[in-house]
Amino acid sequence: MSFKDRKDLFPGALEMMILQTLERQPLHGYALVQHIKQTSKDLLQIEEGSLYPALQRMLKEGWVKAEWGVSASGRRVRIYELTPAGNKHLEREVSSFERMLEGIRLVLSPRKA
Amino acid sequence: MNWIKQLLVRRQMNRDLSEEIQQHIDEKVEELVEAGLSQEEAAARARLEFGNLALLAERGRDVWRWHSLEDFFSDVRFALRQLGRSPAFAVAAVLTLALGIGTNTAVFSVVNAVILRPLSYPESERLVSVKTLDLRGVPKPSDLSYPNFFDFRSANKVFEHIVSYRDEQFSLTGVGEPFHLRGEIVSWDLFPVLGVPPVIGRGFLPAEEERGQRVLVISHRLWRERFGEDPTVVGRSVTIDGQPHTIVGVAPAGFSFPIAPEPVDMWTTLARDADSDTFTPVTEQRGARMLSVIARLKKGVTIEQAQAQLDVIAASLAKQYPDSNKNFPRTYLRSEIENMTGDAKPPLLILLAAAGLVLLVACGNVANLLLMRTAERAREFALRTAIGAGRVRLVRQLVTESLTLSMIGCTVGVLAAIGTMRLILPLAGNHLPRIGEVGIDGRVLLFSVVLAAVTSLVFGLAPVLRILGPRVVEGLKEGAGTTTDGGEKLRNALCVGQIALGLVLLSAASLLIASFYNVMNRDLGFQPAGLLSFSVNPQQEQAVFYSRLREKMGSIPGATSAAIGMPLPLTGSQMTVAFNIEERPAPAGERPRSNMAIVSPGYFRTIGTPILRGRDFNEQDKLDGAPVLIVNQAFAEKFFPGVNVLGKRIEPGARYGAAGAKMREIVGVVGNARQSLLTPGSEPIYYFPYEQLPWCCPSVLVRSQTPLVSLEQDIRNSVGSLDNQLPIYNLRTMDGLFADGMTTSWFVVLLLGSFATVALLLTVTGLYGLLSYAVVRRTREIGLRVALGASPGEVRAMVLRRAMTFVLLGMAVGIAGAIVGGRALKTVLFGVAPYNPLLLAIACLVVALAGGFAAYLPARHAASIDPMHALRNE
Repeated sequence: MSFKDRKDLFPGALEMMILQTLERQPLHGYALVQHIKQTSKDLLQIEEGSLYPALQRMLKEGWVKAEWGVSASGRRVRIYELTPAGNKHLEREVSSFERMLEGIRLVLSPRKA
Repeated sequence: MNWIKQLLVRRQMNRDLSEEIQQHIDEKVEELVEAGLSQEEAAARARLEFGNLALLAERGRDVWRWHSLEDFFSDVRFALRQLGRSPAFAVAAVLTLALGIGTNTAVFSVVNAVILRPLSYPESERLVSVKTLDLRGVPKPSDLSYPNFFDFRSANKVFEHIVSYRDEQFSLTGVGEPFHLRGEIVSWDLFPVLGVPPVIGRGFLPAEEERGQRVLVISHRLWRERFGEDPTVVGRSVTIDGQPHTIVGVAPAGFSFPIAPEPVDMWTTLARDADSDTFTPVTEQRGARMLSVIARLKKGVTIEQAQAQLDVIAASLAKQYPDSNKNFPRTYLRSEIENMTGDAKPPLLILLAAAGLVLLVACGNVANLLLMRTAERAREFALRTAIGAGRVRLVRQLVTESLTLSMIGCTVGVLAAIGTMRLILPLAGNHLPRIGEVGIDGRVLLFSVVLAAVTSLVFGLAPVLRILGPRVVEGLKEGAGTTTDGGEKLRNALCVGQIALGLVLLSAASLLIASFYNVMNRDLGFQPAGLLSFSVNPQQEQAVFYSRLREKMGSIPGATSAAIGMPLPLTGSQMTVAFNIEERPAPAGERPRSNMAIVSPGYFRTIGTPILRGRDFNEQDKLDGAPVLIVNQAFAEKFFPGVNVLGKRIEPGARYGAAGAKMREIVGVVGNARQSLLTPGSEPIYYFPYEQLPWCCPSVLVRSQTPLVSLEQDIRNSVGSLDNQLPIYNLRTMDGLFADGMTTSWFVVLLLGSFATVALLLTVTGLYGLLSYAVVRRTREIGLRVALGASPGEVRAMVLRRAMTFVLLGMAVGIAGAIVGGRALKTVLFGVAPYNPLLLAIACLVVALAGGFAAYLPARHAASIDPMHALRNE
């Protein structure tokens, strides 16, 4: 099961995770994927390439900016960094995501309500 | 803004993305190799985990695309491929559209140049023409007299400048050969009112309107051709009509005022009119209405405000000078461009409307072609719908295809219009103002492109309606050769509409042709063939000069008679003067008026108008002889109905000096010779003997049996023998004058006739295509009928019946349209009623014949269908 299929169920999830990851530190694409994979303890199978269209979208929206630099392994890579606009977007997305999660939780456990 | 930048940096973005992805995979491979995989395994695994490389890269790039536009281009590319697949359809559709759009482009380019383009003077929207309203009978605009003009000039507060002008002919001597000049006599501020200063020297000064002043501004052309572009020409004295004039300025190149078929060579001030050869100069005759007037509104003043103020002035003048102004208490202001182009509007707008109808017919044909194609492509559309194409997507594709077609048609049409205009424009003559400036400019191009876009919507609508219909998917189920076809009704309706439009155009053309025929063939009241005229401005005692000239002319070999007269028949120029009838005297201001003319003995014989009663003028009708007049039949009938007009006496207002004022006896009645070509009825006119009213400057008429060319030298010699410094001008045959007067009408008739023909041809091809297609589609049915015993005749009749149904339905609609259309033509029709049953019947007959012609081949084809073949084919 690839991530792509799940993205249809929950649009914006990948973007949210990317933004959250970038908030801690600027990273290049490969490192981003690895980080998300590891942090999610491999529960999320990400089709690595699907990162790139998402990054392009966010570049276009101005949530991240990219600059060519050199990675720790001495490779020429494009390093992505969160912009203030991206930060704001992330906050909005996270809070609305949390509200949604809360809603789902309430519905799924009706006895508590 | 942002997307422009994006478009520019996109290539870089895409390169970055590719490199980035490559780096990603490399890094992954490296890591996997470090973890112990072989290079090949690592590469395969990296790719697997990355996902579909091409697709993801594509999606990444997609983010930056400008979707609608690029999708549009790809749709266009697709449309072009589709067209390329059926070249016959493409060529037919493009040519039909090119015909329709090209026709409209051509006509619009004329409308644009003649009517729409602003005048070529700065802030020309503030220029207005000023006339007074003659309230006798139906109110009509009238020229101004000098005293009234002066009063308007001094009393108004609404104009920056107000300027009088009138045409005059001049002779320039002493600079090369004697030379005839077309000139204008103007008030001093002509150049300020137009906002165009002379390029060399200056315009006129107010003081140069005073008596005795003789100053000139010459045209750039005259400066170039006669003065060799001499920069020191200002201040030079030249001889005009035997008097010294000082050149004070040279007008800019391309400057012309007024805008007229023949360019103006020079301008001089009204000082010229202040010293007149009549005893009272025209500058002091309040009743001598001979001036055109142009004015420039002050900034912020509207034409209505200006008119309101001038009306007040006119009303007070009417009170102050009842004798001359009683019937002119109001004014008539129009924008100058309206004044100049107003007459050209009706014929041009009719042509534009006709061109529009041609385009509609063309649209009908293209729509039908598209519908057939859509039907052919039903399976394609059904398939695309089945695999998920939304209706919006299909509609967008159809619209793009239509748009692509019409834009190609537009390009071809505009190019064709540019080509044909070169051939057609010369036929328009030079009577339409600014016709020489016709060209394809930005506005015309914009018109064509917008028209093409609108057109594509019109003809593209049919297939879209078809696609939006409920049964698209059924296309998949339908086998080839089924006879159900939802587009059929639409196609039939289009065809009926085309036939109707064709009939409307044909009927309009027939009305105009009939009207033109009427004008061409109506009784002019004189014999123009073999008659020629010319003008000179004699510098000596006129009466003597013309008397000697008539003698000389009479003795030219081949000339049968000669005379002088003004104004000449057919020229349309008029002198209208009031008169008092002896037995019914009326106070000034309430007297009857009529056209008048001044002619020499032999005039009526020369132009070929019969003397019905009484006598012609003779050599005894001199200044000191008994004052006499000749009137035409229309005059006698109008002012002396039922009585013998001979011997009646009237006192015209036109005089020559103090000796003039007197009752004149009517001594003859002549036939009604037409003074102007396009007035409806015969106009009353009375004739003075020239020697009793020797006004300047009558034209010379010669009737001869030899052709003009051989006569011209004899005429020049005769004039030269009297005065070798006298240029001859306006040398022309009456036939030529007649043809010249007819050019605009001819142009309109020619174009409208062509449009009707084109529309008819389009209709015929449309009907033919429709019927042929129907026959092909119904091959099986027809085969079945034949197999069941239908004779070829019956099959043929079936197709013809179908065709005739269309034709009859189309006619029913078309007749209604033709009656409405005829009314729109009313203003340009002459001697034919807008609703003419006979012409309409003929037009219907032509349409029916054309319909039969279109049906003939499909009918024959249907009759020849072999049932075995047709049925087995399935």
